[in-house]
Amino acid sequence: MSDFDAIVVGAGNAGSSAAIYMASKGLNVLLVDRADPPGAKNLSGGVLWGNDLAQILPKWQSEAPLERFINNKKLGFLTEKSSFMLDFKTQIFEENKVGYTVLRSKFDPWLAKKAKEAGALVIPGITVESLAIKDRKVIGIVESGDTITADVTLLAEGVNARLAIEAGLKRPLRDSDVSLGIKEIIKLSPQKIEDRFNLKNNSGVASEYILGFLGELNVGGFLYTNKDSLSLGVVVPMENLRENGITHSYDLIEMFKEHPSIAPLIEGGQVAEYGAHLIPEGGLEMMPKLYGNGYMILGDAAGFAFSNGLVLQGMNYAILSGIKAGETAVEAKLRNNFSEQSLSAYEEKLNSTYVLKDLKTFKDIRKVTNNPMMYNTYPKLLESIMLETLWERGQPKKKIRDVLSSCASNLNMGRIKTLREFYYIYRRM
Amino acid sequence: MLKMAVMIKQVPDSQDITIDPVTKTLNRTQARNIVNPPDMNALEAALQLKDKYGGEITVITMGPPMADSALLECTSRGADKAVLVTDRVFAGADTWPTSFTLATTAEYLGGFDIIFCGEETTDSSTGHVGPGIAEFLGVEQATYIHSIDYQDPYFIVEREIEGAVETLKIGKPAVVTVVLNANNPRRPTLKRKIEAFRKGVTTITNKELKLRPECVGLKGSPTVVKDMKTMVDKPKDTVKIGPEEITKVVEVLYQRGIVKC
Repeated sequence: MSDFDAIVVGAGNAGSSAAIYMASKGLNVLLVDRADPPGAKNLSGGVLWGNDLAQILPKWQSEAPLERFINNKKLGFLTEKSSFMLDFKTQIFEENKVGYTVLRSKFDPWLAKKAKEAGALVIPGITVESLAIKDRKVIGIVESGDTITADVTLLAEGVNARLAIEAGLKRPLRDSDVSLGIKEIIKLSPQKIEDRFNLKNNSGVASEYILGFLGELNVGGFLYTNKDSLSLGVVVPMENLRENGITHSYDLIEMFKEHPSIAPLIEGGQVAEYGAHLIPEGGLEMMPKLYGNGYMILGDAAGFAFSNGLVLQGMNYAILSGIKAGETAVEAKLRNNFSEQSLSAYEEKLNSTYVLKDLKTFKDIRKVTNNPMMYNTYPKLLESIMLETLWERGQPKKKIRDVLSSCASNLNMGRIKTLREFYYIYRRM
Repeated sequence: MLKMAVMIKQVPDSQDITIDPVTKTLNRTQARNIVNPPDMNALEAALQLKDKYGGEITVITMGPPMADSALLECTSRGADKAVLVTDRVFAGADTWPTSFTLATTAEYLGGFDIIFCGEETTDSSTGHVGPGIAEFLGVEQATYIHSIDYQDPYFIVEREIEGAVETLKIGKPAVVTVVLNANNPRRPTLKRKIEAFRKGVTTITNKELKLRPECVGLKGSPTVVKDMKTMVDKPKDTVKIGPEEITKVVEVLYQRGIVKC
């Protein structure tokens, strides 16, 4: 007889969602997290997209500590002196509430509290030492030399996935699997935020940037508005950092903050939090086997995050994978069968959701998002096209076609090669 | 078998407390609640006695219902029972009715061979409650101890006094207060935490203690706060010195052996 029906390691979006689902269906659930309050060590960009939480918490939009709903999405290409912005603002987002900015230091403890209310035993401040494995089956967890047993163990331990890797359930991380995210929360009065970003009524903006002024580095930036703070950060592939010998990665966020189009937005703000975290961007490449005898792997630990340059998401993938793992555990409990074969339902369920569908559809997306041209050439191309077209310098005007070809040749972009590149990106995005 | 009690208090973490620049009052809203730090040393002292001689430890607090998390912190570290003394009539108590209520609770629970308290709380720093409990119970006490041993029917305690360490032998039953950092409180284990959460907390109200309302809580408190003033730091006099003086200062420090090359 096990101590629990299910043990969940990690109170992030995946783990807490799974715990809420299982506990609400009557399973005896233990949810442990290394931080106290639970989830306090968790970090992400800070926008929660979608409405998956409604499956387990129908009233989450009125109960959760949410910051602002997104009705404005921007994509910016920055060069040293210019910024080229795509700016999409819509009433439709406002009516449908498609995404919210959240502060993880408030949101995650709230979600863990919901797991407790659903009946799970939530124990924070505990670092699990290892998985307990007997006869090739995961039978629980080990802490301070004690084994705590469960019929099924859900590994929602985050991107580093130490337990899964040490137990040989997942291969060690490679540089190519992850990007490094560095983030600050910058305090600013709601009035200033609303004035600077043209917001009202709790509306908010989510901006992603391509930083085209950092040489060979493929750095993306983000800037999201919270109630009385901004979430600002940079994301850079680990491989790219290593190739360029960058050790002072925090300089990158400083350079982003100093950019002439960013500095005025954050002026006068106080840095309240600073953090760094790995982002699993390796997709199917890094995805471990998702289940086995007595265990399932969820969220970041399974590599469930998505980025195609336009969107950068992870929390919704984590929540949905948590719910699906929860469903699988509840069904396995009914069958009283927690074997690999029984838990394979988890992958089947994920296959019919966007979680695995997106990873399959966009399996080559890193070739686009990590394409150096995206960072060191296209932003400059956009800048020079804009200058050619918009800057009146007393010269005869050119047709757009001629502007394009002269700008491209200035950047050593051959016509055929460029067209091939665009087609390549177009096919994969 | 020793029957032991540890009296604890839930306090706001002083690291998180800020002073409101406008009202000059303490802002506790951002502070998380912790077990009063020297109480953890009191608990550890009790746990060490239990490790050595066996026994049972009951951890007791008087406070609002949310103080149960502080008790669970203690049972997670090895205390056997947790008792929350909570009632609206106990609210607003100063150290007098607090000592009285806790002493009555100890009697209600059948009495203890020894009661451990922290030296004082970080949020009021009176150091009254331990001695208060001893007085209300009419038992022996030793304050500010850093170590304790047991030789039936005595406890041998050590306390630091100016320039010396005093060793006392006090009779059973007794109350002791333990200084901050007297020992290294053990970490809770997951197994103990699970047991602690499952066992939960026993609640005692005035229904059980049957104390007269005018003797407890705010009504039973002789202390009246008449006024509060904020101390303002005066800027210190500063003297600017040049390289020559610095060399001189370093020389003197070197000659006196305060700095070494």
